Amino acid sequence: MMRHDLIVIGAGPAGLSAAIEAARLGMDVAVFDENARPGGQLFKQIHKFFGSKEHHAKERGFRIGEDLLADAEKLGVAVHLNATVMGIYEGREVLVKHEDETVHAKADAIIIATGAAENMIPFTGWDKPGVIGAGAAQALMNLQGVMPGKRILMVGSGNVGLVVSFQLLQAGCEVAAVIDAAPRIGGYGVHAAKVARTGVPFYTRHTVVEALGKDRVEGAVIAEVDDHFQPIPGTEKTLDVDTICIAVGLSPMSQLADTAGCDLVLDRKRGGTVPVIDEYGETSVPNVYCAGDAAGIEEASTAMILGRISAIRAAEKAGFLGAAEFTARADEYAASLSKLRRGMFAPQNKGRTDMTETDEGYPLSKSLLAHGFLEPNEVSAFPCATVHEVGVHPVIECTQNIPCNPCQDACRFGCITVGDDIVKLPVIDETKRCTGCGMCVASCSGQAIFLVDEAYEPGYASVGIPYEFVPVPKAGARGHALNRAGAPICDAEVVSVKYTKAMDKTVLLTMKVPAEFASEARFYRD
Amino acid sequence: MAKIIRRAPETAFVPQPDDDLIICRCEEVTKGDIRRVVHAGLSTTNEVKRWLRCGMGLCQGQTCQRNFQGIIARELGVSPADIGRITGRSPVRPATITTFAHEVTEQKEA
Repeated sequence: MMRHDLIVIGAGPAGLSAAIEAARLGMDVAVFDENARPGGQLFKQIHKFFGSKEHHAKERGFRIGEDLLADAEKLGVAVHLNATVMGIYEGREVLVKHEDETVHAKADAIIIATGAAENMIPFTGWDKPGVIGAGAAQALMNLQGVMPGKRILMVGSGNVGLVVSFQLLQAGCEVAAVIDAAPRIGGYGVHAAKVARTGVPFYTRHTVVEALGKDRVEGAVIAEVDDHFQPIPGTEKTLDVDTICIAVGLSPMSQLADTAGCDLVLDRKRGGTVPVIDEYGETSVPNVYCAGDAAGIEEASTAMILGRISAIRAAEKAGFLGAAEFTARADEYAASLSKLRRGMFAPQNKGRTDMTETDEGYPLSKSLLAHGFLEPNEVSAFPCATVHEVGVHPVIECTQNIPCNPCQDACRFGCITVGDDIVKLPVIDETKRCTGCGMCVASCSGQAIFLVDEAYEPGYASVGIPYEFVPVPKAGARGHALNRAGAPICDAEVVSVKYTKAMDKTVLLTMKVPAEFASEARFYRD
Repeated sequence: MAKIIRRAPETAFVPQPDDDLIICRCEEVTKGDIRRVVHAGLSTTNEVKRWLRCGMGLCQGQTCQRNFQGIIARELGVSPADIGRITGRSPVRPATITTFAHEVTEQKEA
């Protein structure tokens, strides 16, 4: 029997954060993870995260994973891989399957940070090869370096569906469409916009009804749904795809909490069956905690804080942390968490459809919610997104209240302000000069900042866009400018390609377009 | 704990065009199989699992439970919260008997 102060189950963002926090306070921590590599889903995440600096904003997910692992190693946290916890027994004893042995371990406290699994929806042919979870597609691409298919249908427009769609495009796949049974796109507008501007169509109020093909997917039939999510006969469309990716939400993996005897509840807002927990993540079984997606589906950024909160509570109860210091830290983490749990995508606003304005009182774009892109007349309602100055300057197409502020720190001239409430839309100070350095463009996790110079040359404007595809076009290349909907609108010439290490793989690609397209041209294609 | 409802659907079983749809891939249980046992009197997730083995395969219900719970609940006209869930018990992941036979009882020195 191995004995520890704390056992953490799961080496993802919540589990590793919990282990690091506890080890720093002097606890002897053991982490068990059933996978061959640690990091949970973080190493699949090649996009930049949202939030503020304290939440690792504008860092790519896999880098956050590398940082967490380095911290854990430095502190001597034992991370056991290929080690599946099969059950939690009385007295906080766990049974671990390691290789082909079973091992017993015991601790004063246990933190369950087992994460979540992807939901599937059954439809005709869903059991054919070629129907895969979006997370599985992401693992194939970003961990194994394998293209999941050539032409993809993405089912589900939450952040997972949107982020994976973009990554499929980056990997060189075609995305035939993103569909969602709901009347509106579920994920961040900026994630949808960066997919839409490459020409991917969005079909809201649509579902997949059949995977065609004999032994594997050779096509997909989608159809419009009525108010009860039932397919409307006669609205079927056949798409030529070889892969159907399912991104219809996640379910917390709470079985271990069940084996421990924790009270569970079916809570749709938290994504399924989850343990009943207090503000520190402690379940109904004393000294057994649950943190991260296993306790309720949220973001990796919140999971990291939740892991830390459970860890300090366990440390305090075991005498590794004084009451005053505990309260101070708990308040600090609670404040950090509440910064992230704001805005129209916050857990408390999940499923709400009655929001029509931003916190600032600007009308929310209906087109962004239905089609994934802003209509020109909607853009003008947002001061930060409006083109109205001579000389190069940022145009920020950030139109939903999402907790995120790296753009504010990116500009060394103080041109962009978000303020203390990081869910607010950025404000551009027109009196501050813009040198066109592109740091704001690269820092925006939503790829929503463009640098526009309406008077670049007589009759021509320049539009700088964030570009994350390979090969990167060279200066002098000629092609087309695409609008927000992904339709080619005019000829474009690449006039510069700027990249520095600080931009972290986001290239500032500047194209020259006829002046009248300055506020429409938002993507470039050869 | 969910309340146990002893109630079979009042209407007779009516076949549906997608009754042959596989719901539990591991154990190859169809939508029709599940609907039929509900009409025969089963009314909780655990009962249906024991009778048909859905949720007892490799995924241990992680993929299929949500879907077959939905089918039972719809058939009974109740909420999925009312029919309970598959009881989570050790081993929560499939394990071979070999693994259990190789039980390490002595503490290994690191």
